[in-house]
Amino acid sequence: MRPPSPSIPEKEFLVASLKESLRLDGRLPLETRTPILTFGPELGWVECALGKTRVVAEVEGKMVKPTPERPFEGSSRYTRRYRPWRRASTSPVGRASDEEVTITRMLDKVLRRSDAVDKESLCILAGQRVWHLRLTLHFLSDAGNMLDCACLAGIVALKHFRRPDVEVIGDEVTVHEPTERAPIPLAIHHTPFCFTFAFFPDPSIPPVIDPSQLEQRLSAGLLSVALNAQRELCVVQKLGGVPLDPDDVLKIVSVAVQKAKELNNVVDARLREDWEARKVEVT
Amino acid sequence: MGSRVEILNDGGFRSDGRRQFELRDMTIDLSQQGQADGCAVVTHGLTQVLVSVFGPREAKMRSQTMHDRANISVEVNVAAFSTGERRKRTRGDKRILELAATIKSTFEPVVQTNLYPRSQIDVYVQVLQQDGGLLQACINATTLALVNAGIPLLDFVCAVSGGVHSTSPLLDLTLLEENDIPNVTVAMMPKTGKVTLVTMETRLHVDRFEEIFRLAGDAGKVIHGEMKNAVRSRTSALVAAMGSGPRVGGVDVAADKDGDDRMNEY
Amino acid sequence: MSATVLPGTGVPAQRVNLKLGPGLLQNRDANEAGPSIITTRAGTLNHSANGSRWWVESNSRRYVPAPQESVIGVIVQRVGEGYRVDIGSAHYASLDSLAFEGATKRNKPNLKVGSLVYARVSLAHKDMEPELECFDAQTRKSEGFGELKGGFLVKCSLKMCRDLLDPKHFLLPLLGARFPLEAAVGMNGRVWVSAKEPRQIIAISRCIEAVDPDGGGLDEAGVKALLGTLDV
Repeated sequence: MRPPSPSIPEKEFLVASLKESLRLDGRLPLETRTPILTFGPELGWVECALGKTRVVAEVEGKMVKPTPERPFEGSSRYTRRYRPWRRASTSPVGRASDEEVTITRMLDKVLRRSDAVDKESLCILAGQRVWHLRLTLHFLSDAGNMLDCACLAGIVALKHFRRPDVEVIGDEVTVHEPTERAPIPLAIHHTPFCFTFAFFPDPSIPPVIDPSQLEQRLSAGLLSVALNAQRELCVVQKLGGVPLDPDDVLKIVSVAVQKAKELNNVVDARLREDWEARKVEVT
Repeated sequence: MGSRVEILNDGGFRSDGRRQFELRDMTIDLSQQGQADGCAVVTHGLTQVLVSVFGPREAKMRSQTMHDRANISVEVNVAAFSTGERRKRTRGDKRILELAATIKSTFEPVVQTNLYPRSQIDVYVQVLQQDGGLLQACINATTLALVNAGIPLLDFVCAVSGGVHSTSPLLDLTLLEENDIPNVTVAMMPKTGKVTLVTMETRLHVDRFEEIFRLAGDAGKVIHGEMKNAVRSRTSALVAAMGSGPRVGGVDVAADKDGDDRMNEY
Repeated sequence: MSATVLPGTGVPAQRVNLKLGPGLLQNRDANEAGPSIITTRAGTLNHSANGSRWWVESNSRRYVPAPQESVIGVIVQRVGEGYRVDIGSAHYASLDSLAFEGATKRNKPNLKVGSLVYARVSLAHKDMEPELECFDAQTRKSEGFGELKGGFLVKCSLKMCRDLLDPKHFLLPLLGARFPLEAAVGMNGRVWVSAKEPRQIIAISRCIEAVDPDGGGLDEAGVKALLGTLDV
């Protein structure tokens, strides 16, 4: 059974209130929900919540033999588990819905293809041993804007993760337990954050950042921008939807630049806080 | 990875002898193919795409009908021989699904679907050759095929790709360039100058993005001229073949040449 | 007088004219050892003053239709002589277009797909689609049922809906003292609200969300503080 589209009164009210720049959760049009990051007991386990949208990301590392084509590079693999959320999607069982495809592809672009993690530093012994990272994202609940939440969870998990220290003597590889030597963080080139904006067919309605589920359903187009705090764009994606003035697109990009800086500070502060809490006094 | 081929040499030429802002040769064939209601073969250099449009017709699956507008379904098939390395892509491939979803959502607001409630418009995209700019070719070909099928559109959708090599922007990238430098695809509607689609992957500084984004918008207008001429000459050829009425606007094949000249000027 | 129970707990309910509400089951098999009435849900066990009615109160989000409950539904499809309505249950409910006040074969209400209706469940059988009606079958009067125009639909948990229907609950009177509002509460976790200004509707919807035991679970003082920040 397809979930019914929002009813006429819901649609009309949302449009009427957005015209007055009011949003249902009391935010301003260009205000994001504050992400709540919860770290698990293990390094690399993060739960990210944007309102009621929740995604858990976990990173695992293990040693494997590298592929013969790239003997100096570690590898990474991303898995996504959509289970609880998939039930509400419109597609027949077994086939990915359009939204799922978009999210999967976007995650791939933001986290992997933008070279966030330095792959060559994952090499332990050229051609013999490299680190293989596995990032698993669990989509727990959808209250709109799963993509931004998942991207944030993914990148924070990668920043949070620390791999065990290894020592190479000749061809001998020794792995040091976390109790022996402090684990090492991954070499992260940059931290991309993703921001999604929703547009509405009525030109008098301003674009809305971080759309809620209802806003997302009733919008006439989404524009996702992934960028880091150094003003470097990683992904810009606007797949169809209402046509926009080129100047509007550029304006939105500059809004995203601002937001990325803010979010970067928030994330850094949270990571530092968590790391401080993990320190154990050695007497 | 590092580039083995020089993307832009000191003389300002690219690997295939083009200038920075020069587009590749674009050919458009709008002749009838098989049973389709509208067809277009678009070639940008060595990238070739065939699009056939069927409909508006009754949907095969009743569950897909919408009570107030037509449903557009897009299927993309990439020929195994289209790339250098011969690889079979299955229908479930995420990249192909994304391409299909992109084409679908690009055309949904442009096609006047509300004129055909409870019906379906099928778009079949066949990628015959790939040499960069796949999305741009798919979108241009779909526009032309829809026009050819007589489906009412609000405007043309013209797409063009672009990239930035260190600091100099380039237009209409080949596969070689696409692999090495950050690239952007922009689809715009020439009448209003608004953009319906922007995609970019790979890192690029915000200021550089703005430059290439504006440039691609202008290049879209050139592509539009080319597409318009093709439709016009096809229509006048059809009218002439029917032997009825005067030629539309007196435009003939010479117009094509005119378009070429304008493109070279650019 | 209530106790927290888990599924399978025995219930000491004994009376000649006993009525069992949701969450309770009578063991038919007399030979089996154990209590004759057990709970099937986790929640708080309640009973009426004279002990003739027993039920388990719990919270959930999925609505299971029960006869005579008023619900808010969204029209999803027109079929022949009626409509199919989404009421948040496992199956769509059907609503006959003659089940409205003053409806005749000639003069039927014209509801669009996507309209909201306030209706009563007239039939809820486990083997059949639920059926709705927008009037009282005896008096043929609407009694407040019918299409809901304008306003906004707020979704909440089932417990919240039951709380809002309780005249002693603080939320609606508190909001009503601040500005005039209209509300229709469905038992299926949907509340339709309407007020003059969009910001007032937003305030109501945020208050309901904040008070919802499934979400914020705010008390009266908390809501007053929240309303103070909302500028209505």
